[in-house]
Amino acid sequence: MFAVEISHVTKAFGTVKAVDDASFSIEKGELFGLLGPNGAGKTTCIRCMLDIFKPDAGTVVILGGPMSEAKKDRIGYMPEERGLYQDIPLERCLAYLGSLKGLSQAEVKKRSEGYLERFDLAAHKAKKVKELSKGMQQKAQIIATLLHQPELLIVDEPFSGLDPVNTQMVKDLLREQREQGVTVVLCSHQMNLVEELCDRIVLIDRGKVMLYGTLDEIRRQFSGHAVLVKSGAPLPALPGVERVEPVNGSYKLHLHTGARPQEILKMLVAKGVPLERFEISLPDLDEIFIRIVQGEGRVA
Amino acid sequence: MNKTLLVLKNEIITLVSRPSFWLSTLGIPLAGALIFAVVGWINRDAGTAAAVGELFRGPQEVRPEGYVDLGGIIEEMPETVPAGTFVAYPDEASARAALDSGEIAAFYIVPADHLRSGEITCIRPDFNPLASDSNQSGLFRWVLQVNLVDGDILLSNLVNGPLDVQDISLAPAGTAEGGMDNPLTMWTPYAVTLIFYFLIMGSASLLLSNISKEKENRIVEILLTSVNPHQLLAGKIIGLGIVGLLQTLLWVTIASALANRSGQIFQVASSLHLPASFIVWGLVFFVLGYAVYASLMAGLGALAPNLREASQVTFVIMLPLIIPLFFSNNVFAVEPNGPIATVLSLFPLSAPVAMMARLPAGGVPWWHPPLAAVLLALTAWLIVRMVAGMFRAQALLSGQPIQVKTYFRALFGKL
Repeated sequence: MFAVEISHVTKAFGTVKAVDDASFSIEKGELFGLLGPNGAGKTTCIRCMLDIFKPDAGTVVILGGPMSEAKKDRIGYMPEERGLYQDIPLERCLAYLGSLKGLSQAEVKKRSEGYLERFDLAAHKAKKVKELSKGMQQKAQIIATLLHQPELLIVDEPFSGLDPVNTQMVKDLLREQREQGVTVVLCSHQMNLVEELCDRIVLIDRGKVMLYGTLDEIRRQFSGHAVLVKSGAPLPALPGVERVEPVNGSYKLHLHTGARPQEILKMLVAKGVPLERFEISLPDLDEIFIRIVQGEGRVA
Repeated sequence: MNKTLLVLKNEIITLVSRPSFWLSTLGIPLAGALIFAVVGWINRDAGTAAAVGELFRGPQEVRPEGYVDLGGIIEEMPETVPAGTFVAYPDEASARAALDSGEIAAFYIVPADHLRSGEITCIRPDFNPLASDSNQSGLFRWVLQVNLVDGDILLSNLVNGPLDVQDISLAPAGTAEGGMDNPLTMWTPYAVTLIFYFLIMGSASLLLSNISKEKENRIVEILLTSVNPHQLLAGKIIGLGIVGLLQTLLWVTIASALANRSGQIFQVASSLHLPASFIVWGLVFFVLGYAVYASLMAGLGALAPNLREASQVTFVIMLPLIIPLFFSNNVFAVEPNGPIATVLSLFPLSAPVAMMARLPAGGVPWWHPPLAAVLLALTAWLIVRMVAGMFRAQALLSGQPIQVKTYFRALFGKL
C-alpha cells in the first residue's frame, strides 16, 4: 500500500527539466528519504507531489488518488524556505495555520499548547514571530506542520538551524510519527541523519532518479571497492589493492577496479595472514552521494 | 470546505490589530476635528481672530488718509466710518504737504468729472503692492458710493449686490453648467476626485502589500498546501475590502458631522448640497472600483517578487484613475456633462472617480450612474476572473522580476 506513487513525472521550466521522468513510490507508514544535491529537482518533485505544480507529464497518486482540497488537510508540509507570519504573535499564527487545516479553535488551542510545552516555546507564545530566534522559528514551523496530525508528513531540511538537543528532539519526533503510522518524507542533505532515520531513499540528480530502494540494497550496490580486514599481523602488499587505510584498529583495503574481494581473501589465506575479521566494506551514504553526484551514478 | 471565510477573517483580524491601522483610522478624523475645533474657537471670538492674524501679519497700523473732493460729492461721512479716518483737503498742494509731513498715509483725488469718468487717483509715498491691505481705498470708494445715494447705507449695500439669492434650477438634466464664480463648484469635483482616488488606491494597495509580504515571508507555499489560490484571493479581496469600506464609512460619518459643524464656522454647508443619492452611488462606485483595482493589484502581487519590483507597474495600473484628476477643475467643474466628462464617467476603469466627480455638479442624466455601475460591475467580474488565472502557485512561488509587458501578458492569460 503506497502513500505516494510518482510515475514518469516530468516538469520543465522553459528549457530546463527540473524533474525528468521520475518514478518512485513511498510506502504507507515508512520514513522515506528524498535526497539530492542543490538544484537537483527535489523541491519541484515535492511540489508536483502536493499538486502545487502540475506536472507536464506523468501521474501522481497521493493517499490513494489525485490531490483534492480535502486531502490537503491530511498532509503536513514544511518547506525548506521557512514561512511564518512575522508580525503576529506565535499563538495566533499557529491558530490560523491550524484552522486552515480544518481544526476548530478549541482543538488548535489544546494541541498547540501541548507542542509549545514540548518544544519549550510556551513562554514565547505571545511574542511576535519575528521576535523569536531562528531556532525557535524553526521549532514553531515544525509545530505548525504537525498540529493537524497529518497522515503524510513532508519535511524539507527539518534539522537546519537546530542545536544538537533540538536535533535529537526532532529525530525522536519523526520516529514517533512513524510509530504512529504516519508516512514521513524526509528531505535532507545531512546523510548521517537520513541513514539513521530512513528505511528507504530516493536520490535525485539533475531531475532524474539516480538511486532508489532500501538503504541496505543501495549500499550493497555500491560495495565491492573495499574490504575491511582485522589481523594481529602486518598486512603484506597484495596485487589488486590500491591503498590501505587504517580504520579503528582494522585496515580498509581499497581495491582496483576489477579486483574481487574473494581473490583478496584467497591471497591473505595463502600468505598465512591470521585473520580476525574479513568483510566487504559497505560505503556510507555520504560516499555514495558524492560518487553519484560526481558522475559515477547509475539511473535507477 | 471553502476556506475563503477563514482567510477573510484572518485578514480582518490581522489588519485591525495593527496600531498603524488605528493610527490612520482615528488619527485622520482626529486631526480634522482638531483643526475644525481650533478654527471654530478662533472664529467665535473676533478679537482672538484678529490677535491670531496679528501673530502672522504683525500689528496693523491704520493711519488717516486724506482726500481732495474736486467734484463736491462727499457731503458727510457715514456714521460707521470712525472719525479721523479720512481728512478733507481743499486742494492737491495742501494734501501733498500733509503727506510729506507724515500727517496722512495717502490721499485720494476725486476729479470734478468723476461722475462721468468714474476715476479716483490715489497718491501714496511709496510703491508697495504687498502693503495694499493697509490702505483704505475700498472704504473710501464705499464712502463715495454712500454719498452718491444721498447717505442711504442700505441702498448703497444693495447697489453692491443682492444680499440673498434663492437658487432655483430650471435647467433640464444634462444641461447643467458649472459656475466658476462659486469656489465650491470649482473645488468640489476636485476634492471628490481626489478623495475617491485615494480611497480606492489606498484599499487596493493594501492588497498588493499584503500579498507581496506573504511572498517575502515565504508563507505563501504553506498557504497553498492548505487552501486553493482562488479561495485565498477571494478571502483577501473581500476581507481587506470590508475593512476599507468600514474605514471609509467611519471617515464619511465624521466628515459629515464636521461639515454640519462647519456650517457655523465656515458657512460651507449652506452652499454645498450633496444629496443622499450621492452617498449611495459613492458606496456603489467605491465597492466596484475597489473590486477592479484590488484584483489588478492582487495579480501584480502574485507576479512581482517584492513590493519594490511591483511599484513600477503600479503607476500603469492606476493610470485610468489618475486621468480624471487632471480634468477635475477644467472639465468636471466647467462642463460636467460635456463629452470628456461623460466618456470618462462611463469608461469602467475611470468611472469610479469620474462619475463621483460629475455627480456633485448636478444635471447628470439619471441613466448615466446606473449604466456606469453596470459596465463597472461587468468589468470587475471579468477582471476578477482574469486575475484568478494569474493567482496560480507557479506565479506565487516565482521570484522573477516583473515588467509592465509581463504583467499584461499574464493578465490576458498569455504567460
